Amino acid sequence: MTEKIRAIRSIILLIFIFFTIGYLIYSRIMAYSLAPTMKPADFHGLPIWEIPVAYLVDYFSHGWICLLFAFVVAGLVYEFVPKEAITKYMSGNKVTGYGLALGMAPFLTVCSCTMVPLFAGVLYSGAGIGPAITFLLMAPAANILSILLTGEIISWELAGVRIIVSVVVALTAGIVISKTPWGKAIEDEHQQSSSTAQTAIEIVKPPLDERLWASLKFAGYLAKQILPFFLLGLVAVSYVEAYLPEDIVGTYLTGITGVLIASVIGGPLYTPTLVEIVLGKGMWDLGMSKGALLSWLMGQPYDVANALAVSRITRWKVVLTYMLIAWAGSVIFGLTYGMLSGSI
Amino acid sequence: MKDITVEVIGVDPPCKRCQATLKNVEEAASALKASGFDIRVSKLNMVSKDVIAKYGVVVSPSLAVNGVVRIVGKVPDIKEVERILRAAIK
Repeated sequence: MTEKIRAIRSIILLIFIFFTIGYLIYSRIMAYSLAPTMKPADFHGLPIWEIPVAYLVDYFSHGWICLLFAFVVAGLVYEFVPKEAITKYMSGNKVTGYGLALGMAPFLTVCSCTMVPLFAGVLYSGAGIGPAITFLLMAPAANILSILLTGEIISWELAGVRIIVSVVVALTAGIVISKTPWGKAIEDEHQQSSSTAQTAIEIVKPPLDERLWASLKFAGYLAKQILPFFLLGLVAVSYVEAYLPEDIVGTYLTGITGVLIASVIGGPLYTPTLVEIVLGKGMWDLGMSKGALLSWLMGQPYDVANALAVSRITRWKVVLTYMLIAWAGSVIFGLTYGMLSGSI
Repeated sequence: MKDITVEVIGVDPPCKRCQATLKNVEEAASALKASGFDIRVSKLNMVSKDVIAKYGVVVSPSLAVNGVVRIVGKVPDIKEVERILRAAIK
């Protein structure tokens, strides 16, 4: 009997999930825009209070399915990715360490609160400073939620480029720092003795209906964490679109200057997760180049809040080194992508 | 009678998801304690040296029962914890 109930529950949940994914694909095929459709010119002449209202209505009338999709898929992926792989295999082996850092980071830290502790965990476990840094940079740059939204709101091309560039930058920073004297010094402090006993892990897998339900619950949790900031961000974006003159964007956010400026404001201006995507889209509408847009999106890894937290675990030299590499990466790849895509 | 040690491993100070895990674990444990089992619940810090030496890198929140990691990086509901605890009692 209980088996039957479980089966029915699983089916209902699966129908909901397939509806969400199916509806998104359907709307894609019908090719109507999921991103806000209002153009900056539409805002002129609206009273101040009405600007965010009009923008939010416009956004949610198109964007609800895209947000729902992103949260549901992130919840599912998070539930079904074997997170214990990191516990099982993260150890002294450098290659495995880098591989795990790159492969798992996008799925483990959908919310940034666990990123720094995980960084510390990887470092203290004796896996080395390199994989730890790679993990730290990879996690916010290419987490599953921001990739999904970059794809849906801006373009899948940019989402793909964002993943590739994040991998290159994170790997470079990890390897370079592990070769510096100050990086090595930190690593030596955290050598785990090789006699460490193998961790005993026996993961329990609950029945399918409970797992599906758990992933939807996690999706809801993510939405609760992120949506308030996201809404505030949208309000800010609506004012940017309404008041930021296009010629300023055209002058300062295109060309080499554009990439440089975007890469610099992308970081210290600590935008809560996902807002950078909408804000980027807003500025892109106003004429920001694709190259600058990529640099802007790449700014996340060196935001100040995380840098402060990390500096308490390593020393400032390490933090400055990885910030510099991440910044250089965002400039170099912004320029390259701008040139290749013909939009700089 | 078997003793059971339950450890919730997470960040310190506990984040919302660790607190939720701890609450579910305590609730599941108190039901079993009422029927006479000895269950100790504690909260560990995932970045402390001892925890890493014993369990390696875990994702917050994780759950270990009698030294065996059972759940990594997710908030288990009460039913799930109860199943795990009952399996440990046997």
